[in-house]
Amino acid sequence: MNPTAVRRLAAYEQLSANPYRPWPARITSITELTDKETLFELRLIDDDVRDAFKFESGQFVEVSIFGVGEAPISISSAPSKQGFIELCVRNAGDVTGALHSRQCGDIVGLRGPFGRGFPFEEMKGNDVLLVAGGLGIAPLKSLINHIHDTRHEFGKVTILYGSRSPEEVLFARQFDMWRHRDDFDLHLTVDQPDETWDGDVGLVTNLFERVDVDPAKTFGAICGPPVMYKYVVAEMRAKGMEADRIYVSFERRMKCGFGKCGHCGVGHQYACIDGPVFNYWEAMNLQEAM
Amino acid sequence: MFFRVMDKDRLPDLVRGLAAEYEVIGPIAKGDEFVFAIVSDPTELRLDYDTTILPPKKHFMPPTESLMSFRVQDSEVVGEELDRTPRVLFGLHPCDINGLMLMDNVFLQGYEDPYYKARRESTLIVGLNCMPHEGCFCKAWGTDEVHWGFDIFLSDLGDRYFVSVRSVEGADLLDRCVETRQITPEDTAEFQRVASEFQASFEGQPDTSQVPLLLDAKYDDPIWEELGSRCLSCGACSMVCPTCYCFDVRDRLEPDGQEGTRERVWDSCLYIDFAEVAHGHNFRASRAARVKNRYYHKQWGYLSKFERVLCVGCGRCASACKADINPRIVIEALQAGGGSL
Ligand SMILES: Cc1cc2nc3c(=O)[nH]c(=O)nc-3n(C[C@H](O)[C@H](O)[C@H](O)COP(=O)(O)OP(=O)(O)OC[C@H]3O[C@@H](n4cnc5c(N)ncnc54)[C@H](O)[C@@H]3O)c2cc1C
Repeated sequence: MNPTAVRRLAAYEQLSANPYRPWPARITSITELTDKETLFELRLIDDDVRDAFKFESGQFVEVSIFGVGEAPISISSAPSKQGFIELCVRNAGDVTGALHSRQCGDIVGLRGPFGRGFPFEEMKGNDVLLVAGGLGIAPLKSLINHIHDTRHEFGKVTILYGSRSPEEVLFARQFDMWRHRDDFDLHLTVDQPDETWDGDVGLVTNLFERVDVDPAKTFGAICGPPVMYKYVVAEMRAKGMEADRIYVSFERRMKCGFGKCGHCGVGHQYACIDGPVFNYWEAMNLQEAM
Repeated sequence: MFFRVMDKDRLPDLVRGLAAEYEVIGPIAKGDEFVFAIVSDPTELRLDYDTTILPPKKHFMPPTESLMSFRVQDSEVVGEELDRTPRVLFGLHPCDINGLMLMDNVFLQGYEDPYYKARRESTLIVGLNCMPHEGCFCKAWGTDEVHWGFDIFLSDLGDRYFVSVRSVEGADLLDRCVETRQITPEDTAEFQRVASEFQASFEGQPDTSQVPLLLDAKYDDPIWEELGSRCLSCGACSMVCPTCYCFDVRDRLEPDGQEGTRERVWDSCLYIDFAEVAHGHNFRASRAARVKNRYYHKQWGYLSKFERVLCVGCGRCASACKADINPRIVIEALQAGGGSL
C-alpha cells in the first residue's frame, strides 16, 4: 500500500478504535434558519479522520461540547457534499443551546456517523415521496440533497413538508426557489398561516389529496414528531404502497449512539444501531414504535 | 478442557500465589451478607457464600468510570485511560459467569467497548460450584451450569476440589501456584454425584416456556398496570443485576472550567427520564411502561439479537425490590393468563 493509503487506514482504525472519542471539528459556517433552528456547517480538522468519515443520508452524529455533554443530530447535508457536513439544530436544551452560542471558527467534537440510513441505492430508478413534519426535515434534507445531486437516477420526486407557522419553515429560502422547478413536486403547508403565506394550510396529511402515487415504483420516507407517523403511513398505505417500501426515521433519547447505553430502545430494537431509519414493515412489528 | 484435583488445604497456596501477581477479588463477609471485594488474606474468603449484594459486573463496568479527560477550549481529548490492572475474580458461581458472558455480547460485539474490553482481557475468572439457595432460578434459564467463560473452575468435593481448566493462563497459574494431581475415576464419579445432587436440589423453578412470545402476545395485559402501580422506580433491580448494562454519560468540569472528565455512570430504565426527549416528550412516562420495558428487553429484546434471555436467575433483584416485583412473579403472571397478580 502507498503511504497515503496506510495513513488513511490508520485514521480509519483510530476512528473506530474508541467510538466514544469525539474528533475536533471546526464550525465553518452558521446560518440562522428560524428563531430556534440554526444550520451549522462543520469540518473535521484532522485530514485523515475527515477522509475516513463516510456516511449515508439518514445517519446521525453525536455532537460533543466538552463540559456540557453530547446530542445526537442527523446529518442534513448530502454524502455527495464532501469535506463538510451540515447539521440543522434546534436549541432544545444544554448541548444544543451551547452549540447555538458558538461562533464561526469555534471547535466542537463530533463522533460517528452512526445508525442505519435510507436505502439510497435501492431507491434509485424509483419515484420518491418524502414527508416531513417540523424538524423532521433535518434528516430528509440529506436525502433530498442527495437525490438532487443525482436527479437523473430517480423518477418523480415529491416533497410534502408541514410546519406549525410560516416562521417555523426550515430551509425556507431554498424551498422558495424550488417552488417553480418541475423536477421536484414540492408542497409546503402550515397549521397557522399569516398574511404573507401563500402555500397550503392544514396538516401535512391533507396534501395527499394532491399527489399521484404509482405504488409499485414509489419509495416513501417519513420523519416528524412522534404523533405524525401513524397518519402519514395510513395515507401512503391508502395509496397502495407496500409496508416495506415506506421508511420512517425515529428519534429517541440516546447517549452512546452505537448500541451500548440502552436509552434508545424501541420495542426489541435500538434506534441507534437498528435504526434510526426503519421500514414500516419492521416498525409495525415493533412495540412502542408509533 | 482438562481436569486436575487440588486438596482443599492447598487453597491458601493458590490464593497467595495469585495475590503475588494479581489483585484478587472474591466473596467476603459484610455484616450478614457477602460482597465481592479485594481479598488481602486467604482466610477472609468465604467460599460458602450464597450470593453477593452486587454482582461482579462492577469490576468490568464500575458504577462511575472516566471515559476520557478533555480540554474545553479546542475540544481535545487529553487523556484516555484503560484499566488493565491484572485481576482475578475468585469464586464466581455459574450464574455470574453466565452473566458476564451476556455482558460480553453487548460490549464486545458490534462496536467494541474499549473500557470493558481492557478490563475483561486483564481479568482471570476462577469459578466455583454452588448449591441452590432460596431465590435461585438459574435452572429455568439454563444458566445453572457453565462450560466456558472461566479460566479455571473449582467444584467442591468435600475434602478436595475438582478443577476444570479452560485457558492456558489458568493452566499456567495452577502449575505455578499450587500442587495438584491427576484425576482418578473416583474423583470423576464424585464430581458427577455432586453435579446430580446440585440439579436435584432445585425447587419450584418457574415455567419459562414461550416467555418471549407471551411478552408480545400479552403486551397490553392489565398485569403491567398492576406492576407499574407497585414499582417505586428506584432502579435497585438494575443496580444489583449482573446483566443490566444501561448507562448515562456526564461531563464533570474542573473548578477552572478549562478541563474536565467525561464519565459514564450506571443508569436504570426505570428512572422517569430514561426515555425522555426534548420538548418534554417521554416515550415511557408511566411506571407501567417502564417496568414492562425492563422485562420486554431482558426476555425478548436481547434475545432477538443474541438468542439468550438477559437474566441468569441469580435472584438478587428479588431481594433488592421493596415492591416485590421480580422475574418469577412476572413470569408466573404471564403464564397464568395475566389479569391480576
Ligand atoms: C437519531 C436522532 C437524530 C436527531 N436529529 C436532530 C437534528 O437533526 N436536529 C435537532 O435539532 N435535533 C435532533 N435530534 C434531537 C436532539 O438530539 C435533542 O434535541 C438533543 O439531544 C437535546 O439535547 P440538549 O442537551 O440540548 O438538551 P437537554 O438539556 O439535555 O435536554 C432537553 C430535553 O432533551 C431531552 N434529551 C436529552 N438528551 C437527549 C438525547 N440524547 N436524545 C434525545 N433527547 C434528549 C431531555 O430529556 C430534555 O427533555 C435527534 C435525535 C436523535 C435521536
